[in-house]
Amino acid sequence: MSEEKIIEIKNLEYIYMQHTPLEHQALSGINMEVNRGECIAIIGHTGSGKSTLIQHLNGLMQPQKGKIIVDGEDLSDSNVDLKALRRKVGLVFQNPESQIFEHLIGDEVAYGPFKLGLPLNEVRKRVKWAMEMVGLSFNEMKDRPTYALSGGQKRKVALAGVLALKPEILVLDEPTAGLDPYSKNELLEKIKKLNREEKITVIFISHNLEEVSFLAHRLYVLANGKNLVDGTPNDLFSNKEILEKYKIGTPDSVDILYKLKDAGFSINPRLFDVSCVAAQIFSILSTYQRRVTDDISV
Amino acid sequence: MKSDQALIQLNDVSFHYIVEKKKELSVLHHISLNIFPGEYVAIIGHNGSGKSTLSKLFNGILKPSAGDVVVNGWNTKNSQLIRDIRQQVGIVFQNPDNQLIATTVEDDVAFGLENILVPAEEMESRINQALRTVGLTGMNKRAPHHLSGGQKQRLAIAGIIAMKPKCIIFDEATSMLDTYGRKEIVKVMRRLNNDGVALVTVTHYMSEVVEADRVIVIEKGKIITQGTPREVFRQKQLLQSIGLDVPIANHVAEMVHQKYQPFSSNLIDAGEVVEEVKHFTTGGVSV
Amino acid sequence: MTSRFELTRNITIGQYIPTGSVIHQFEASLKLLSFAILVVGIAICSSYTGNLILLAFSIALFGIARIPIHYGISGIKPALPFMIILSLMQLLFYGQAAQGETTLFQFGFILITTSSVQLVIVSAMRFIEIILVSSVLTLSTSTTEMTHGLEHLLKPLKYIKFPVYEFSLIITIAIRFVPTFAMEMEKLMKAQASRGAEFGTGKWWQIVRKTKDTFPLIIPLFSSAMERAEDLILAMESRCYTPGLKRTSYRQYKIALRDFLLLIITTLFSIFIVFYKFTY
Repeated sequence: MSEEKIIEIKNLEYIYMQHTPLEHQALSGINMEVNRGECIAIIGHTGSGKSTLIQHLNGLMQPQKGKIIVDGEDLSDSNVDLKALRRKVGLVFQNPESQIFEHLIGDEVAYGPFKLGLPLNEVRKRVKWAMEMVGLSFNEMKDRPTYALSGGQKRKVALAGVLALKPEILVLDEPTAGLDPYSKNELLEKIKKLNREEKITVIFISHNLEEVSFLAHRLYVLANGKNLVDGTPNDLFSNKEILEKYKIGTPDSVDILYKLKDAGFSINPRLFDVSCVAAQIFSILSTYQRRVTDDISV
Repeated sequence: MKSDQALIQLNDVSFHYIVEKKKELSVLHHISLNIFPGEYVAIIGHNGSGKSTLSKLFNGILKPSAGDVVVNGWNTKNSQLIRDIRQQVGIVFQNPDNQLIATTVEDDVAFGLENILVPAEEMESRINQALRTVGLTGMNKRAPHHLSGGQKQRLAIAGIIAMKPKCIIFDEATSMLDTYGRKEIVKVMRRLNNDGVALVTVTHYMSEVVEADRVIVIEKGKIITQGTPREVFRQKQLLQSIGLDVPIANHVAEMVHQKYQPFSSNLIDAGEVVEEVKHFTTGGVSV
Repeated sequence: MTSRFELTRNITIGQYIPTGSVIHQFEASLKLLSFAILVVGIAICSSYTGNLILLAFSIALFGIARIPIHYGISGIKPALPFMIILSLMQLLFYGQAAQGETTLFQFGFILITTSSVQLVIVSAMRFIEIILVSSVLTLSTSTTEMTHGLEHLLKPLKYIKFPVYEFSLIITIAIRFVPTFAMEMEKLMKAQASRGAEFGTGKWWQIVRKTKDTFPLIIPLFSSAMERAEDLILAMESRCYTPGLKRTSYRQYKIALRDFLLLIITTLFSIFIVFYKFTY
């Protein structure tokens, strides 16, 4: 990860249906910075403006007020090359499997690269790479029909469809929503690999705090169209006041630590990984046992 | 909570879909189980295990290929009784957008009442009561597409509880909602169960499973184990082998247990973990 | 620019504007019936005076319903090109059929007489009147009331085995799902645009390309519609719906005296407009 800023957002505002009775302010001052290679989580309730925000990142929406700079390019400039921008910023919508339209998996993944006008062998190379990245064997799967896949497999195909554009920034709207635990973990591993090994900058929306602490380097909390808090998952989850104030909820493992703390035990809320929680409990037990044995020996 | 007479009985039920003329896709094999009045049952299983098909057998949406499903003493194969059966057992489905019929909230709740021939004079009070139970009071005239996902799902529940069923099936009803919406639904479910309505929930969320009286695990169309959440989560290897997870608290307890045997590995939520720690650190056991 | 994908976002069928006026309060089925009678009156009335009265009446309805008149005018605008073409055709070709009247202009087969001029003007007025009156109807009646009104109105057809309830249920469900599909279409357009799709950029002669461009939208939309339909059937069945069986109805038709008065007055008014011999 470098210190080079790949995305800068300053005082971004957006109002839907401006100047009508149905006017609705979705964004009311977003400020955000993302470094190249970072993995950023965005947390917030329905209606906090998350979806509107990410649609600004690849130019589906243009800023009404404020600024977005993606890789040095100001998106409020009306001469922005949208095609190039959308190639650079791959956006994966919620339940992306619903956008699949081709009969065969390979064709579905190749749609984007073909739209870019790439030569056939380059398309083939990209499709192969994208499919392997999400864990679909190119040789085995490319000629299979899309309709016969399970929900988790379909989502991988949809993700591969965006990856085939070779984006530098990958934006995902609730990538694991509605998946079963197995497919969920599998997909999270793939996204982590894309970020950590392929060095793709990742921005994702999530409700699942376990998922956030697994993937994200940093996170932003959104409410009412503003970003309220940001920091590392560690900073946030060890700050009970903020968790309660913004009704973020607590990951289950953090919850155990706080309950222990309330019961009078000394714990470190920053060590909330499952094995760390277990280790902390064990150390509580062993100090106590030691004290008991000490008492007896005295 | 339970009475001896089962509300829903599945006797040796098998089910297959007919794909083509002579091709059958077998989904459920020889399942026998009872749901008792007022009970809270969770059904878990990997995708494609047949759990969703199972839930559709409970009120005769699907009819068993072999064996019988009996609701309140009525066999679901008897099409004369299907209205009575479905009045007793309602289903809330997964997608909030695909189960609302009318253009206003109150008309949607009324839809089921009209079908079971509730007189018009009685409807308004039943509608309002159902909306109150799910926390949508005063939204009678709203259009469904102006509701949030969680609200839509609560409206779907209202449409069913207005019919005064004895049992409600939740077929992955929270899987498309955010944390907040899901919590609201769980709250409603708890309230309904306290009022004596039997609940069957098909879910991926272990936090919801913990709430149940009984958990049934389905794999490849068979019941592979069942019991209280505690009894089921004890079989961690089995669950993980079929792609299911156990609650975080259970993972933690297991890890502590491995280092320190007396610490129970059989805990399922945060409260229990804390109690167990207290147990070893206050007077009780220390001597 | 920003609104390119927002087109479908806020579709409101019928654009109901609840002002609570007298017109809003009329019972929907009799309102619909009165409307139908009035439209018949408008269609038959061919005198200048009669149409002037009708036009004034249509405009007055907006006042009574407390709905800004610009809603009505915005309904006329899209119909203007059609009206102009229609008027021209009538002006050029109708004269032959109405010979004998004072001839105003003649060139080849084109014959313009006083009666053909009257026809053109009256037709245009009728057009505007009908648009205004139906705007008032849709702006003052919610879609729910409208479907229930329609169902009530069609009830007598039950005796000839017409599935009245099923018919109104179909309309209700169609209306219910319009915003759902609009949202879905918007999402699909955005998702495919994110993958490099372009919509509406092909030239008009590139029919194959233009058709192909819509596949990424139409195919997923269609398959999701099928999925939704299947889900909806299950949900309806599980709430005890069986087509054709007897049901009760939540909506009671409380027809008040003023609803009958509306019907009677509209009928008398229409008869008067049609049969009274105006000088012009």
